[in-house]
Amino acid sequence: MTTAPEEIAIEISEMNMFYGNFHALKDINLKVKTGERIVVCGPSGSGKSTMIRCINRLEEHRSGTITVYGTELNDDLSNIDEIRCETGMVFQNFNLFPHMTVLENCTLAPMLVRKMSRTVAEKIALGFLEKVQIPEQADKFPGQLSGGQQQRVAIARALSMNPKIMLFDEPTSALDPEMIAEVLDVMASLARDGMTMVCVTHEMGFAREIADRVVFMAEGEIVEEAPPEEFFKDPKTARAKTFLSQVLGH
Amino acid sequence: MTSSQSASFFQSTFLNLRRDFFSSKIGGTVSLLLLTLLIFVLWTAFDWAILRAIWLAEDHQLCKLDDAGACWSVIAARWRLILFGLYPYDEHWRSALGCFAVVLTVVLSCIPRFWSAKKIGTIWLLGYGSFYILMQGGIFGLSSVSIDQWGGLALTVFVFASVAVIGMPLAVILLLMRRSEMPIISQTTGVIIDVVRALPLLTILFAAAVVLPFVIPGWMHGDKLYRVILGFALFFACYQAEILRGGVQAVAAGQEEAAKALGLSYWHRVSRIVLPQAFRAALPPTINQFVVTFKDTSIITIIGFFEILASGAAAFGSAEWGFAYVEVYVFIGLIYFSFVFCLSRYGAYLERRHTIATR
Repeated sequence: MTTAPEEIAIEISEMNMFYGNFHALKDINLKVKTGERIVVCGPSGSGKSTMIRCINRLEEHRSGTITVYGTELNDDLSNIDEIRCETGMVFQNFNLFPHMTVLENCTLAPMLVRKMSRTVAEKIALGFLEKVQIPEQADKFPGQLSGGQQQRVAIARALSMNPKIMLFDEPTSALDPEMIAEVLDVMASLARDGMTMVCVTHEMGFAREIADRVVFMAEGEIVEEAPPEEFFKDPKTARAKTFLSQVLGH
Repeated sequence: MTSSQSASFFQSTFLNLRRDFFSSKIGGTVSLLLLTLLIFVLWTAFDWAILRAIWLAEDHQLCKLDDAGACWSVIAARWRLILFGLYPYDEHWRSALGCFAVVLTVVLSCIPRFWSAKKIGTIWLLGYGSFYILMQGGIFGLSSVSIDQWGGLALTVFVFASVAVIGMPLAVILLLMRRSEMPIISQTTGVIIDVVRALPLLTILFAAAVVLPFVIPGWMHGDKLYRVILGFALFFACYQAEILRGGVQAVAAGQEEAAKALGLSYWHRVSRIVLPQAFRAALPPTINQFVVTFKDTSIITIIGFFEILASGAAAFGSAEWGFAYVEVYVFIGLIYFSFVFCLSRYGAYLERRHTIATR
């Protein structure tokens, strides 16, 4: 990495978010350093997805600040565009564009947003398709691929924009069990390459192995933040203990 | 095919027929009755239209005989009136070429490889330009022909193509305004669409032809034909906008989110992600809308345009041919059919293309 390791990638402070009258996120404070790997976990409905969707403005926060590499997320459209360029996102349901081939999915944004030529964009995209181990599927359509393959394409598509940060929103939750490993492998190799990552996931094994920090959320709040070995061995709060016993208990 | 294979083929066909149509006594009787009826109808039509028909213009006296079938002499004698209306006789070739130019424009616009703003724009400019120059004349040594004299197939095709070419982009604009996040814009558009849809097409065309000149300043009047086309296009666009809205609703919400997350701008999201998928989802009703519009062009005859149905009526309007209206309508029916059938086949082609592309 060329950037200083201590550089702040994402800073969220005193952030509140509402769905209508429902207070979905309460006074969220979170700092993510460059190269850090954060796993966000917690019971469903706790606001994990909402929080990371606020980082690239798929949801709009009502108060507080979100800053990504010094750019504040506000109503300024150019700020929003800038932040979206620097953050890649992988969704639970892949959200590949079904009317485009795998390669077109990966080159669309680099060509339109980064103004790359087709040749350059295709070269970069094929590089990432190689990284996620499906270069041979480049000319197929998403509908022809398995779920695991689609999710790996989605990762390659996000990487093709050369983002500084990757956001993962439950990337393995919609997958058949036998396909989870191939996606987690790709994510782990990204982590080894030093990518700044924020993952919402229920894969506790992945969290233990990869995460620098586990953020535990419940009812719209960050309840606990700790390195994985500490969080799994010795959770401080009762809610985290209950959650862990439910997730790991069987 | 070997003889045993063909034998088993016939045997299985026979068995299938027996199973599907003659499995019970009542079923068998109904099948036989309907089959007889079908043969009778087909034979009568064939006998009338082909076997006993009179074909040549100079034979038209024979049409009066009792055992004469279809009198196609009327078409042979009057086809120019049907196809070209009141357009000056010596200039009919211009009307034919103009009609061809518009049809060619439409056909080219339908081919996927020309689907870019630049190519489509060039095609439309050339197509409509040559249609206008050919029909209107007044330059390149062509004598000037006023719009009142345009008619027949060229007029029908021109009105249809213009309504489609103006109406489709207008539909997209209405759709985007309807989906706007600003309530004033989306609600106003909603009201406009509802009002236009609530009015009969004829009312809108009348308003465009007759009422509009009182309301707008003189330099904006243009010819009645162009006002009617604009009114028609607005009507088309309001229906088509709602059809496309249905298509947009079929596009998963995650599609737009994924496009946002990649940093695509609003216009890129709309033009590359949402609209292409919405058009696919809305293809069958869109083709339907085109078919209805093509046939609805006959309504402009009521406000004084000599489109193909009106020029057809003129073809049997003389004392000499007054009896031959059925033949004329059959002929015009065939023309409508060939256009609409092409449209349907094109729709089927597009659907097949998409299924192949996404499977």
